[in-house]
This record gives sequence, structure tokens and C-alpha cells, in this order.
Amino acid sequence: MIRVTYRTQNGEDYIAEAMDGMTIMEAALSAGVPEILGLCGGICSCATCHVHVDPEWAAKLTPPDDEEGAMLEAIDHKAPTSRLGCQVRLDDSHDGLLVHVFDVS
Amino acid sequence: MSVKEIYDPFNYATHANPYPIYRELRDNHPVYHNQTNNFWALSRYQDVVFAARNFKLFSSAKGTSLEYVGELAPILIDSDPVMHTRLRHLISGEFTPAHVARLERRVRDYAQRLLAPLRERGEFDVIADFSAKLPMAIICGLLGFPEQDEDMLRQWTDDCVHRDEGVFEMPEQGLIATQNMYGYFEEQMQARRRKRQDDIVQKFVDSEDKGQLSHEESLGYLYILSIAGNETTTKLIGNMAWQLDAHPEAIKRLADNPALIGQSIEETMRIDGPTHMMARTTTADIPLHGKVIPAGAKVALLFMSANRDERKYPTPDEFVLDRNPKDHLGFGGGIHACMGAALARLEARVAWEEIFKLTDAFEVQQDRTQRMHSPQVRGFTHLPIRFNPRRTAPAH
Repeated sequence: MIRVTYRTQNGEDYIAEAMDGMTIMEAALSAGVPEILGLCGGICSCATCHVHVDPEWAAKLTPPDDEEGAMLEAIDHKAPTSRLGCQVRLDDSHDGLLVHVFDVS
Repeated sequence: MSVKEIYDPFNYATHANPYPIYRELRDNHPVYHNQTNNFWALSRYQDVVFAARNFKLFSSAKGTSLEYVGELAPILIDSDPVMHTRLRHLISGEFTPAHVARLERRVRDYAQRLLAPLRERGEFDVIADFSAKLPMAIICGLLGFPEQDEDMLRQWTDDCVHRDEGVFEMPEQGLIATQNMYGYFEEQMQARRRKRQDDIVQKFVDSEDKGQLSHEESLGYLYILSIAGNETTTKLIGNMAWQLDAHPEAIKRLADNPALIGQSIEETMRIDGPTHMMARTTTADIPLHGKVIPAGAKVALLFMSANRDERKYPTPDEFVLDRNPKDHLGFGGGIHACMGAALARLEARVAWEEIFKLTDAFEVQQDRTQRMHSPQVRGFTHLPIRFNPRRTAPAH
């Protein structure tokens, strides 16, 4: 089991117990994180699964490819550790991952 | 004596114009129960989004149709995580916008090939002469099915989505077509074992060999890709013609400025997208708007009602070219949102760019249109238009 924490701007934590191979976006939906919409279902085209990866974790993830990078260029609240949740696949090495989410509505 | 149901997606009159019915549901029955066939329906934007996102409460594992469609093969859209996760990620990377963008030349060449002979005729059937053929050719190319099989496959997928009026199950024709398709996929997979090809069928064969996919999963996957890759985009291209026919000023703007075609597609997906409904099965009692949907109930998520919810969009029944909605549910939402959405957008955009090279003024021949009949997909099987061949090329 891979535990992923989604921390809101108010400091509230949602903890997902992700299955191997899920993405950050899918695990967020399984935990009911309201800030992650995942509208496009994970095809890198809506950016409604944007997260800031906690700096301690950022370097441990496979970096964004060109397509994700281009999407990230165009979004609000961009930070150096911004990722699209649908493009980050989880495995056992991500147990304990912390990401920050924000109210987008 | 049966009850007169407000919402009956197996009644052909519903297919003719479901929108007043949807408004009645949103306003007075937001948690609607159809007693005749014992299913529920959610119609407001907020409720449909809630259900689409909460895949644990609203499961897909018992199918995404309301009615019985034969024994279910393991299919991507009819699954929950973890099976869904494994199946989807096997090929979802190939359907991102950047990946499908590589297909643009192929889509355009084929669209031009279909439209060229129609130019001097002054009329053509948007569906039968054009949009029924284009997406099928592209998905067959990706899957690796030979061009001469496209017409046969199209007939089978049409049979799979058709429902007889008032009958709450897949007709025999659909069951036969399903069997034929599974037999065809079996042959295709065996052919890849004899001689390799660079296509999705080969990818599934290889995944089976690596133990990532069962044989039944491969067949089910090819089944859903064949249907989804064909039926919906065909209808989207036609539904846009239908919407534009009622808005000649939009036709003029698009003909003058093809850069607006993308947003015209988004507004068509909102107001008249082909996929009206997908079903889920509840895994717990769900209290909502003063009612309780019991655990184990079938629930229809009415995407096209949600897209016309006054609580979400101002003047929802009007086609507004400049609206450019980004959060419509035309492709669903959540983990089951349409995997082929970027491909559908590409195909529809290129299709309409090419139509607007052919003409800058057209009219639908309304008395000669015919609709398909499905509880889930809405659109035309015939949509003849008359057009003025274009004398000046569009600006680009």
C-alpha cells in the first residue's frame, strides 16, 4: 500500500491508500480530495489535477515530459515543484508522498 | 398497467428531443427513479460530477449500461481500480494530445480523400458520406485492422449500440455482432502471432505474453476501442452540422475564421454531445436531495442534462460559439473520462476545417435526416446537407 497525503491550503490532510500503478490524480479521487477534479480522466489535457509536490519529494519523482511541461507552463499557481497528478504513476517507492493542493473553483 | 415514466431512454420519442425531459428531471426530480425498469437518474451538473468522481460509491464494475447486454467481458469502462488502473495505463499514454497530434496528417489526408469527389455535387450526407468513415478509418489504422474490413466493422458496432424501441436489453442483432467482433479480434490476434505488426493489437498480444493482460481482457479492450473510436466522433461531427444549421451566423464566422472551430466543437460537446448517459451501480445507500438511492442500484448519469443545467451555465439551451466551455461533461469526468477525447477533438476539428474548405454556406435537409436509436448515444445516421461550393480559400 502506498500512502499519499494531499494537504489543502487550510492545512487539512487527505490520505489516500493508493494501489501500485495508480496516478496521483486517481489516488486523489479514490480518497475524495475535493481540490483534485481530474476532469479529463488523465490524458494530460485539463490540468485540473495540478499539485505542488513537497520539495523533499520533488526530486524523487520521474521529471515531467515535454507534454506535461507545456501544460504546466500555462497554469495558474505554478510553482517549481508543480506536477500534473495524472502524469505521475505511483509505486512502492512513493509511500509517504506529500503533495499540496488548492481550491481551484 | 405500466407507469408513464418521465425519463425512458428506450422510448424513441426521448431520442427525438430529450432536453425538455432533462429539464423536468433537474427541476422536479433531481434524484429520479424509473419504476418500470428499476433504475435511478441524476441530471444536475453538480450531482453528475459528484457521481463521476466518486468511483467507489458509483461503481462501473457491473457495467455502464442500464440494461442487460449479455455476459460481460472484462472491459476497461466496466471496471474499477485496480483492474481499471492496469488496463487504462496500458495504452492511455498514446491518447494524450501530443501523441494524437502526430495523426493529424493522416486524418486530414483521409478527410480530403472523402470530400474531394463531393465538391461538385452541391450536396452530401455528412454522416454516410463522411463522418461515419473518417473516425473508423483512423481507429482501424491504430488498432491495425485492414481498410477493407472497415465497413463490416462499422455495421457491427452500429448493431452493438442500437436498441429496439421499448426493449430493455441488447437485441439479438447486437449479440450476434458482438460475437462476430470477438471472433474477428481473435483472428487478428492470431495473425499478429504469425507475423508482427506495429499496432495496438500487437501491443495486446505482447502484453498477454508478458502476463500483463488476460486474453479475455484483450478481446474486451478491442471491443470497446472499436465501438468508442467510431460511434461517438461520427455523431459529434454530425451534431455540429445540426447545431450550425440553426446558427447561420456561426457558419459565417467559422468559414471566415477557422481558428474558431475548436471552440465550436467544445460548445457542440456541451449542448449536443453524442454521449448522453453512462450507468453506474451504487455500492452503498446514497442520500441525496431528500431521497435515498439504495446500495446496488443502477444509476444513469445524464451528462447531456448536466451540460444544460441552468445552475451551471447561463442560457444553457443556446448554442453560443464564444462560450468555449472547458468544464462540460461531454467526455464524462473522473477516472472513466473518455480516453479518446483528444483524438475525437482532433478528428472533429480537422473534419470541420476540411468541410469549411469545401463550403462557406450550407443547410441541413431536415426532412431527410434519420436518427440512431440508443439509450446512451444520440446522433444521426443520415444528415444530408446542401451547400455552396467555396470559391475563395479560408484565411488561415
